Order: sequence, then structure tokens, then C-alpha cells
Amino acid sequence: MTVAFSTGRGKPPGPASGRPDGKLPALRRLISNRSNFLLRYSPLLILALAWEAASRLQLASSLALPPLTDVARAWIELIQSGDLVGNGLSSLYRAGAGLALAILVGGALGVFMAVSRPANAMLGPLVELFYPMPKSALIPVTVLWLGFGDGSKILLIFLGCMLPVTIGAYNGARGSDQHLLWSARSMGARGLRVMWDVVVPSALPELLNGVRTALALAFILLVSSELVVARQGFGYLIGYLGANGSYEAMFAVVLTVAFIGFLADRVYQAVVERALRWRE
Amino acid sequence: MARVTDAMRRRFAWGAARLAPVVTLLAAWEIFARSGAVTPFMLPAPSAVTERICEDALGGDLFVNIGATLYRALMGFAIAAVGGVVLGAVMARNALARWFFDPIISVGFPMPKIAFLPVIILWLGLYDVSKITMVVLDAIFPVVTATVAGIASVEKELLWSARNMGAKDRELLWQILLPAALPQILTGLQVALPIALIVVVVTEMQMGGYGLGGAMMQASRFANSRGVFAGIVEIAIIGYALVAAMAWLRRRLLAWHQEGREG
Amino acid sequence: MDNPAQIIIENVSHHYRPAVGREVLALESVSLQVREREFLALVGPSGCGKSTLLYLIGGFLPIDTGKIMVDGKPAAGPGPDRGIVFQNFALFPWKTVRKNVLYGLERQALPRAEREARAQAFIDLVGLTGFEESYPSHLSGGMKQRAAIARTLAFDPRMLLMDEPFGALDAQTRSLMQSELLAIWEKTRKTVIFVTHDVHEAVYLAERVAVMTARPGRIKAIIDTSFDKDDPEVHRSKIFVDKVDEVWTLVRDEAVKALEKQRP
Repeated sequence: MTVAFSTGRGKPPGPASGRPDGKLPALRRLISNRSNFLLRYSPLLILALAWEAASRLQLASSLALPPLTDVARAWIELIQSGDLVGNGLSSLYRAGAGLALAILVGGALGVFMAVSRPANAMLGPLVELFYPMPKSALIPVTVLWLGFGDGSKILLIFLGCMLPVTIGAYNGARGSDQHLLWSARSMGARGLRVMWDVVVPSALPELLNGVRTALALAFILLVSSELVVARQGFGYLIGYLGANGSYEAMFAVVLTVAFIGFLADRVYQAVVERALRWRE
Repeated sequence: MARVTDAMRRRFAWGAARLAPVVTLLAAWEIFARSGAVTPFMLPAPSAVTERICEDALGGDLFVNIGATLYRALMGFAIAAVGGVVLGAVMARNALARWFFDPIISVGFPMPKIAFLPVIILWLGLYDVSKITMVVLDAIFPVVTATVAGIASVEKELLWSARNMGAKDRELLWQILLPAALPQILTGLQVALPIALIVVVVTEMQMGGYGLGGAMMQASRFANSRGVFAGIVEIAIIGYALVAAMAWLRRRLLAWHQEGREG
Repeated sequence: MDNPAQIIIENVSHHYRPAVGREVLALESVSLQVREREFLALVGPSGCGKSTLLYLIGGFLPIDTGKIMVDGKPAAGPGPDRGIVFQNFALFPWKTVRKNVLYGLERQALPRAEREARAQAFIDLVGLTGFEESYPSHLSGGMKQRAAIARTLAFDPRMLLMDEPFGALDAQTRSLMQSELLAIWEKTRKTVIFVTHDVHEAVYLAERVAVMTARPGRIKAIIDTSFDKDDPEVHRSKIFVDKVDEVWTLVRDEAVKALEKQRP
């Protein structure tokens, strides 16, 4: 067995040092400097300007690509009318509830499968069978069961997001170091105590990785199901505005959803980094 | 003459043990559906669903729909795979490209691109082009990220020894960087494939026409729950088969890699 | 030296089944007695089952044949009377040094203030003062092992089972840790069973060295190595060199036998 020998003194190599030799070391150093936020994100600004210009200069039909400034104006109107906030809260409630259920049930299931041989023999093949299933196929059946409202979306997100969490929890818990388990037992810990003190924390990094996949899936399934059938929510609003030809407003909602998805991932990563700060 | 060895017997027993829970689930579903606890509308029995799948197969609709779905999913996936590896390799080797694309990729990856579906329909219409575009848009991000990360983590010593033996820049890419990054690139493709399938089903549901997703939506509109469940089963089988094929491909391609020797 | 036997191992054999292949006999009727407050080293060629024997005493592995009595009771299941120290430290990576050391104490009915005081005392004893709030990933190998030793000493086990504790350390750290362990042992006087494949280490630390045969492991010989080790030049003294030579010859014969067995 090899054990990583860390001195704790040397700083970890920066993001640039692992890269194969580049051509422009000066430029690269500038980019790898994280404080230089503006330079790093300037390509997005360039894209936004190109969008505005293409639309203003009639390079693209302003119907197909309304100017970004018009989209911004439409966004403010949507906020003022309350449409965006109302539909947004409804969407976030569905995603949050479905995801919370998926994490609780999926995480417990994964740990259970890792510590119990019979549970693994019974549930393992089913998890393996259902994991690769494209979960969007469940949209019609959740509607069939629970109708057009919140229930069907929550069920869909729960079913669609559970297995990545289960697999993460399972792999993490199964990989708990035998010596850690023995140490805890030699210090007098037993049964559930060992589970909670050793198995669950050992599973945490992989479990949280599974949750990140689930988070991305939750947004995909939320928007998909709301686009296909809904009377409320971001997806519904996008479809409704598109059908009425208010393309500026439609673009405004699309960008809002995309941004919330991005933001959720970044916030999640920050939380995880804090929770796992005991690692290297 | 083939002999029944211990290993073969064990493999058979292993397969049977893994099949048992699946058979149990099917039996439980059948019994529950027939018990009258729920209406056949809410949960048709597996036998009824199988019947419906056989009808679709005999009528030929099933194969047309599977063909349409597979074509869109695999075409989109292939474009995303090739495009993603090329873009990733360029980003890993060229600082300017990295500067331009890095924020776009890192901001775009976590976004639910599916929200752009109405925009894509507005631009490209309701046919295959927009469905395939949607698949590419969703599936390309994991491939790019995996390629960049894979190439970035190639050990310096490997590059230096290749250089030392006289390899040129172009040879480095094809003979060292891409093969060494292959495990991670394949992982990226394995993430991208299920995404491609999820997206193709949603686009078909949204836009209608041929395809398994469209057929399911059609059945749902006519309150035909057998059709809906048949669709779920068909899509699940396609998904399972494609993911298994991808895993097989990975084992073949990575026979040299440590993980290839396991199991 | 005439303390009563604390650990009695009688005719213990142990089989294990590897992931592939046939069942392997790891230990064959091992008998051994360890006296109270004694420092005993177990040496032998790699794969001779010395760690397995330690795990059996610890109660981590089930005993198929023979019996192991610890303080007059059968060693069934692990318990806080037998503290274990592993080569890979086995610190909880998500707990700070202080919380790691507190873990064993929290399982005992002690007032909170006393637990904290005891933890601090043992952190100080192993020389980790100032690193209480560090996570294991931020410590060097030697510091990790100090933390693991402090954790095990803190819950006051009657004996220490050490499984190649310095095997993962570099040579300098290793020799430093050896003399510190000896100093700690002289302070606390616990029974120690110390598994190692380093003959110098065994002779330097232990009062008796038990040499095991190649697999299946049996006790081949027990060498008395209790002589004065306070002298800083002890490594060059005649008695030390002689003892090392004696143990080394025994171990080498077994290592050669083990190699010959592997040949077709």
C-alpha cells in the first residue's frame, strides 16, 4: 500500500503549471491570474456585443434575434409585472422539493446497499437497469398519474435525480477504508455510530459529486417537463411567450433560467468546497 | 469441445442472481396491476404493455420510430464527440482559443441548455436539424471539458521523453496527448451519451413527428396509457443498450490501461 | 520481566480466501504469550501473516481455530482495551487532530473538560502542540503518525497493537519516531505488540523479538533483546549488532524459503 506523503508546506501547483507547454506564456499568466476577472470573462462580453451589433445592423432578423438591450428591457417588464417571479418561485419549489427527496431517499438507499449484502443483491441490478434510462421518458407518465401541477414535476425530478445520488453514495460508502472502520470500533463505536461517524463521511465526497449531477439533471427535467406540459413555471412562461410572438421576453426568460442553473451550480460548488475543506 | 468449467458455471449463477430481482419486479408489477388496486389506465400490466410493443413492432411503426430517435441521438452525439474533442484539443494547445472559449464553456456547462429549445425551434424549425442541434448543444460541453482536463493532466515526463526521442509537435498531439487523455475523453463521452438521449426524447415530445418521444406524446394525448408505458420501456431498452455499448467500447479501447485489466 | 502473561495465543490457525484462487493458510498453529507491560516485536518475511496475527488479537478478524485470551477473556471483537495503530495512520480525514484524539474519549463516560484536557495532554506528549486544529491532509507523514499514536494513547488502552506504524515514513523521520516511541513507552509502560519487517527497528524497540516463518506463519524463534538502549551510540554497540545479526539470519532464511516456494 502506498501512502501519499504530504508535507503541507508546498502550495499545490497552479492551474497553468500542469498544462503542456503553451505558446504565449505572458498571456497565459495573465489569464491564470484569477483576480483578473474582467479579462477572464471578456469573451462573454464580446459575445453580448456581437449579439447586439448583429441585431442592430440587421445581420440577423430582429425577430429571430432581438437586440440584447430590448431583451433587457423585456426582462425588467417581466419583473415588474410579477410574471417572472411568480413562475420562477413555482419552478424553484418544484426543483427544490424533488431534489431534496432524491438526495434523502437516494443517499440512504446507496449507503444501505453498500453496507448490506442482501440489499445490494436485490437492488443493485435494478439500479443498474434504471440508471441509463433517459429520464425524460417519464414526463408523460408522471402527468398521467399526478396531472399538470406541482406533483408531477416533483415526482419526475425525484425519480430522475435519485439514482445518481444513490450511485455516488454507494461507491463512496463501499470505499470506506477498512482501517478507519476498525479504528472506530477499537475505540468503542458500534453499529449505527460507526455508520454515522465513518461510513457516511467517507461516502460524502462521492455522494456530493452525485448530487451535483442530480442538480444539473433537476434543471433539465424541470424545464423539459414545463415546456412539454404545464400551466406555471419557467418552461411554461418560455413556451407561452414564444407562442405569442413576444420573443424579447422569451429570450429574457431563457437567459434567466440558464443563469439560475449556472448560479445554482456555482453556489453548490462553493458549499461543497466548504464541507470538504478537510481534503487536500 | 467446450467444457462446462467452474468459471462458466459461476458466471451463469451470477447472471441468474442478477436477473432475479428484475423478474421479481416484473412479477410484482403484473400482480399489482391485475389486483384491481389501481385502474389499468393508471398502471397497465406488463403483459398488456408487451402486447402493445409487439403490435407496434408488427405494424412496423416501432422500427420507424426507433430509427428516427436513434438517428437524431447518434448523429447529434457524433457531432458533439468530434467537435468537442477538436475544440478541447485546440483549447488545450492554444492560449488564445483557451482565453476565448474557457468562460463560455465553464458558464455554459451548468446551464440547462434545454431552455433554448423554443429559440432553436424559432431559428431552425421543427425538423431533424433543430433536434440534432439541440442534442449537440447539450452533449458537447462534457466532451470539451473532459478533453481539456485530460490533455492538461498528461504527465510532463511523457511529453519530454517523446520530445527527447524526436517527436514533432503534430506527432505529440496524435501519438501522446490524445491517447494519454483517452480515458478522460471516454468518461466525457459516457457523460454526454445519456444527456443526448434525454434531450432527443424531450425535443421529440415537444415537436412531435416520428420518433419514440413523439409517439409517446401522441399516446398520452389520446389517454392511451399502454402506449405511454410501451414508450417508456422502449426508450429504457434503447438507453440501456447504448450505455452498455459505450462501456464495451471503453473496455476495448482501454485494454492498455490499468482499468482494462480489472474484471 | 516476570510479569504474568496478559495475552495468551494457543494453536491459532487462520485461513483466508483471496478474490481469485484457492484458500490460503496464513497462520498455522501459532502459540505465543505476551507479558504485561512488555514490548514485543513480531518480525518475518512479507506475507508471513504477522499483521494477520495482530488483527486476530485486535478482534478484527474472526478466529477459526485455536484461541486467544486477553486478560483472561477471549478476544472476540475489538475493544478499547486494545488500541491499534496502522501503517496508513487511519486518521479520520474529516476531523481535525483534536477531534480525532477526542473521538475515543467521547465513547467513555468522562466530563467534557476532562476529555479536552486529556486530549491536549496527549497531543502535547507526541509533540503536536499548535497543530490541534489541522486536518490530517495538511500534516506530514510523521505528524500523522504522531496524531494516530496520541489518539490511541488518549483513550488509555491496556495494550498497543502497532502494525508497521513507521513503514510509510522516510528514514530520518522513522528513526526519530522510534526513539520517541521508546520514550513514550517508558513513560506509559503499556504492553506493546509491534509488527515490523525492519530487523533494526525490532531489536532497538523491543524487549523480545518473535521471528515468524514464511507462509504459513508459525513462531520460529523468540530472541531476548532487553538490554540498555539509552546510550545514543547503542546502534554501534556489540550486543546490538550481534542481536540484529541473529534475528536477521533467522528472517533471511525464511525470506529465501518464501522466494523458493514462488518458483515453479
